[in-house]
Amino acid sequence: MDFFNSIPTHMDFEGQARAEKLSRIIITLFGAVGLIWGYIIQQFSQTVYILGAGFVLAALLTIPPWPLYRRKPLSWQPAPKVTENPHKETAKKGKKK
Amino acid sequence: MHSFLQRGNSILAYALSVLACLTFICFASTLFLNYVTDAKMNTVKVVVKNVPDYSASREKNDLGFLTFDLQTNLTDLFNWNVKQLFLYLTAEYITPSNELNQVVLWDKIILRGENAVLDFKNMNTKYYFWDDGNGLKANKNITLTLSYNIIPNAGLLPNIFASGSHSFKFPVEYTTTRM
Repeated sequence: MDFFNSIPTHMDFEGQARAEKLSRIIITLFGAVGLIWGYIIQQFSQTVYILGAGFVLAALLTIPPWPLYRRKPLSWQPAPKVTENPHKETAKKGKKK
Repeated sequence: MHSFLQRGNSILAYALSVLACLTFICFASTLFLNYVTDAKMNTVKVVVKNVPDYSASREKNDLGFLTFDLQTNLTDLFNWNVKQLFLYLTAEYITPSNELNQVVLWDKIILRGENAVLDFKNMNTKYYFWDDGNGLKANKNITLTLSYNIIPNAGLLPNIFASGSHSFKFPVEYTTTRM
């Protein structure tokens, strides 16, 4: 389980937006092309297969966190230094409750 | 935050929505088509017997035997929303005891891609032509019609009557010899 958790799957915010937009465009495009082609040769199964190919392509392109989607990482503020005595802190919290 | 699984889920959900939409378009594109075609049929040999139908009772009922010709071209019926056709041949007649009698004598399934140009000569019926009494002997007007169910990928299951029918009469005497 630790091994799976160690695989990075993170995208930055703009990357997520791009990934979602791209997947919608790919699936819609393949669906439209499949509909036209299936109507021309009068085989609805071909429409379904072409849509399935679009789904696989979209999954490959937009589910894994390709570098394309990690170009603009958020610049977090540096973590504040912990100066106070941690024991005191926990005691106060306990009283509040 | 869209995680790995959430991205996969949204793509799958969107692809299935698109599939539903395409299926509906396929259904709508064939909704108003006219599926009626012409069929020619004829009877060759027609006899009637008076024998007990042991599956129902010991009483003797009329049992008709006939062979028929059937000619029709159903190729045009197949479009992208038709998976198969179920053809059936019905005999319809009136007897003193019943206003309407319908007996299915023969049927056939034609899958998509199979030969849909039918030209049968002197075919035997597939099912027994029982009357529930003695209404077949000397019956002057038995009408054969061809009907078919269209089994679609998506949508309605229409029951179509082919244009064209054939009327014939049964002989006035029972046949007693074996056939």
